[in-house]
Parts: sequence; C-alpha cells; structure tokens
Amino acid sequence: MRGLAAMLGKEWLELARSWKWLWVPLVFILLGIMQPVSYYFLPQLLDAAGNLPEGAVISIPLPSGGEILAGTLEQYGIFGALIIALSFMGAVSQERNTGTGALILVKPVSPAAFVLSKWLAMAALVAASLAAGYAASWYYTVVLIGPVAVGNAMAGAALYALWLLVVGSSALMFSALWKSPAAAAFSALGTFAALALLTSLFPRQLAWSPGRLPAASRELLLEGAAGSLWPTVAVTALCVIGSVLIAVRAVRAHPAD
Amino acid sequence: MKPLLTAEKLVKSFGGVRAVDGISFAIGEGRCAALLGPNGAGKTTTIRMLAGLLRPTEGRIAFTGLPERSDIRAHIGYLPQSPSFYGWMSGREYMMYAGRLCGLRAADAKRTADELLARVGLAGAGRRRIATYSGGMKQRLGLAQALVHRPKLLVLDEPVSALDPVGRREVLELLKELKRETTILFSTHVLPDAEELCDDIMIVRDGRIVVQGSLPDIRERYREPVITVRTERDEASLEWVKRRAGKAGGPVVSALPFEDGIRFAVSDLDAARRLLLREMADEGVKVARIEAGYSTLEDVFMKAVST
Amino acid sequence: MDFHWSDPKLWQIIGPVVVVQLILMVAALTALIKAEHTRGPKWVWAIVIVVVNIIGPVAFFLFGRRMDG
Repeated sequence: MRGLAAMLGKEWLELARSWKWLWVPLVFILLGIMQPVSYYFLPQLLDAAGNLPEGAVISIPLPSGGEILAGTLEQYGIFGALIIALSFMGAVSQERNTGTGALILVKPVSPAAFVLSKWLAMAALVAASLAAGYAASWYYTVVLIGPVAVGNAMAGAALYALWLLVVGSSALMFSALWKSPAAAAFSALGTFAALALLTSLFPRQLAWSPGRLPAASRELLLEGAAGSLWPTVAVTALCVIGSVLIAVRAVRAHPAD
Repeated sequence: MKPLLTAEKLVKSFGGVRAVDGISFAIGEGRCAALLGPNGAGKTTTIRMLAGLLRPTEGRIAFTGLPERSDIRAHIGYLPQSPSFYGWMSGREYMMYAGRLCGLRAADAKRTADELLARVGLAGAGRRRIATYSGGMKQRLGLAQALVHRPKLLVLDEPVSALDPVGRREVLELLKELKRETTILFSTHVLPDAEELCDDIMIVRDGRIVVQGSLPDIRERYREPVITVRTERDEASLEWVKRRAGKAGGPVVSALPFEDGIRFAVSDLDAARRLLLREMADEGVKVARIEAGYSTLEDVFMKAVST
Repeated sequence: MDFHWSDPKLWQIIGPVVVVQLILMVAALTALIKAEHTRGPKWVWAIVIVVVNIIGPVAFFLFGRRMDG
C-alpha cells in the first residue's frame, strides 16, 4: 500500500494542528467526570432546590459503581458518537471539494492507503479519547461512589469502543460517497441510531446487529453478563471492514471532483 | 520525433455529453506542447485523463517504454488550474510530504524540498503556512510539488490564467527554464502564451483537435492571403458586414466577421482587393482601415475555433 | 455529605472539572485567534466560546474553522 506511512503522518499532524488531539479527549474526560460527580451531588442539589417540606426525607437509592460507568458509556455512545461523526464527516469529501485530494491522488500512491490512513487516525483518536475519558470516570466513581467489577467495566468499554469505531467508519464511508459532509454525518448517525432503536424493539431477532452493543454493554455492567456477544462483535467488525472497502472503491472510482 | 506519450482516440462522456470526442496526439520527448482552445473545449478533461483523475470512456493513453497497464503517475507531474493545498502545512512541509508520497526517503525529501523551493523562489516563504500564500505563490508551489519526483512529463492545466500580470510573468519565465529539461504539455486559452513557450500546438474545439502540428509547420501550412477590413459602426457598414459574413465566391475563400470589421481569406490578393474596394464603394461602407497581407497564427486560431 | 460552598473537599471534587473546562476554553480561544479563516465573525465566536460552557468550544472546533488553504 504505497504512501501509507507518509499519509498516516499527515493525518496525525492534521489531528494535532486542528487541535483534535486536545479537545476530543478533553470533552470525553468532562463527560466522564460529570456522571459520577453529578450523582454524588444529586441529594444536595435536590435539597438546595428547597421545595420540600421541612422534615421530608429524600431517599434516592445510591447507584452502584457499575451503574455510573454504564451511564458514562451511554453518554459516549450518544455525544461521543456525535463528535466523532461530525469530526470525520468531511474526511474524504472535503479533500474532493477543495481539490487537495486531487493533488495527492495523482502521485503514485494507492487509494486504499489514502482511506486507510484516515481510518487509522480516526481509530486512534477514538481509542485515546475513550481511554482517557473512561479512566477519569472510573477514578471518580471509585473515589466517590464505590468499587466496580474490573473485568466487566473493561468489557463494557470495549463494546462501546467498537460502537464508536463503527459509527466513525460509516461516517468515513459516507464522506467518500457523498459530496455534502452534513449528509454524511446525518446518514452515519441516522443509520446507527435507527439500528439501536430497532434492536431494542426486536432484541431477539436482531441480537447479532451492531445496534445491540450499547444495551449489551449496559447489561455487562449492571448484571455482569450479556449472553453470547460474538455474533454482534463479528457483524460489527464486518461493518467496519465493509465501510473501509466501500470508501476505497469510491475514492478509486472518483478520486477528484 | 520520438513520442513520450501517446493518446489514442480518447473519449470522455459525462451523462451522454461527449466532453472529449476522440482526441489523438503524441507528445515528442523534450518538446513543449500546448492544448489551445476556448473554455469548455475539453482541455481540462483531457488533462485530467492524462493525470489519472478521470478514466477515459474510450481510447487509451500509453507512455513510451512502459508496459501497457503500469502506473504512469510515477512519470507525470500534474498541476491543476488552481491547486489547493493543506493550508495548515508550511510550504516546506507540503513539499516534503509530496516527496515522501513519491517514494523518497525523509532525508532526500527534505533536500529535494529545499532545492525546489529555492528554484521557484519560495525559499524564504518555505516555513510559512500555505494559508498565507498569494495566488502566484501557490501556483509556484504547485509547480514545485509537480517536479518533486523528476517526472518525464509535466502536465499543466492553464498554469497562468488565474494569475495577475506579475505572477503570470514569473510562472512563464519558470516554465521557459523547465522546458529545457523536461517534456511539457499545458493547456491554455491564450494564444500568446502558447506561442511564447511551445514547440507544438493542438487547437481543440468541441472535444476534438482541429489543428495540430509544430508552430512553424502550422504557420506555413495555414498561411494564406488575408484582407482585413475595419469599418465605422454606422448602420450601412454593419449591415454590409453582416451580409458579407460567411459568403465566399470569386477570389474570396471565406469571410469571418469580428468585433469591428471582417476578415477575408482570399485566393488572389490583387483580384480580391479590387473586388472588395469596388463593392464597398458601391455600398457606401465607411472603411476605417483596410489591410492586405498574410494570415497570422491568431487568424488560424480564430478561424479554427469559431463557427 | 453536607457541603458548604467553601468546603475544600468540594473543590477537590469539582476543581478538576473547572480546570478541564478552562483548558478547553483557552484552547478554543487560541485556535480562534490563530485561525486564518473562520465561518462568521471572530468576535461572535469569542463570545460563544466564553459564554456557552463546553458546547461553545466544541461548536467552534467542529464548525468554526475552515482548514483548507
């Protein structure tokens, strides 16, 4: 795959120069910390709101550590996915629309390397942001709320990593198919929101679908088991690979505008 | 003439419209060739097929000395009409990136980048971000990045038409230097640019090549006696020009109107002059200027691209 | 779990949140100042970044700049 190393270097540098290496992990960290902190202060906040009659006892069952982490991951599943899709919605189309890609693809490089370098940069950003944010959330949860089951917490996060990766990959694919970045983001987010919704409506029939990942992660963290996950993981991996292959085909057929 | 690149019956259709409609040509090694024609003639489409950005609907492109299906991009340096770069990179970083993409090692890429930046006069601006470059600077950076892998053929799409007069001069001078060391094909809609730089010219119109040959050869082949008449803009004169347009006969071979007059290609200069002068006197045409002589390249170009 | 607003334990907990938000804001402002082209006037973005917590900087990073040259 000619040009991969050089292109990867360029994507890496672009993530740094566009501040993505800084702000995306920071936002994940904030989302991660806020979950345990807000639960911790919830009784106080209700108290401060002060509409309760004197002597009323507020009794909120204190959530378990696993529940807090599940909540954090849910945030990542929605807002994290939104950020990733919006960050990469123009990955290919912008290079086509502005003409920067034409100048690269006339060089003796492979279109597969062009797409793969973008995918690897996206995957690295997803992995780093999720790891940083989740670590922060975990730390706060243990300090403020209580212990968590390490194995399940790791597995739950891994499922969400896969979820973010498949959303990001499809954003990349749509950016190679469609001219408009907004349409690409909308398609990627719409597809997976619909998939998650359908899977929650028909959990048995769609047990293999990537839409099961969020629910499976929650089950792991709350109940400690989620049944067999291999079909879901395998299908999701296929979706990721398929997205990259389709993007490569699109770039090869239509390198420039 | 040993051809470096041959294009055979290239066709490109976009949804039924044949933007390029069977173009064939050969570019001799070491020559400088121009694709000359009005906007929309199919020049850019042809060039983008050569650069590998468009796949020809029909026809083939062959590079001498290379197997049929090998990657000709390694031997072509391409500069689009208005190149876009990553604005967040510096000129030097972009050059090094281009070099690495062409397979240079990091150290070689660095050396080549500095050499070429100096060559196009960007040594001082190399560390500035490209977003701050002017149009002329971007064009020169574009030229430098097209040269990074020492291509056998340089393919340039309207290299000077988007530039101001100063930028245009700079790039033209650079191209004059470059044509001594490499083969160049460029497109333009400006005849003087082609005349200044080129050995060979291909005039394109409606997706076809209508005139093709070396510059002296074209001048010789299409040399014909011409009478040019400019008139006042009064009604009788304009009416006569309109009536005379396209009408041949006798010593007049063709009649082509232009902005403020009409140009006759003739077979016999003396006979035609007598005929036209008498006719204009009879019709009361107010002649501003009449000129008899031989056709210039501009006449050939105008005739080739007008209907 | 009863805090007064001057309680140091409270600030131990939410201090990092405030610091991370500040870093995000300063980063966005720096990027705004250095940006060659922005979509919309810079002063509007400056207000959005400072006033709208978290979402302001994120919106600027996502939509505020044009990265092409």
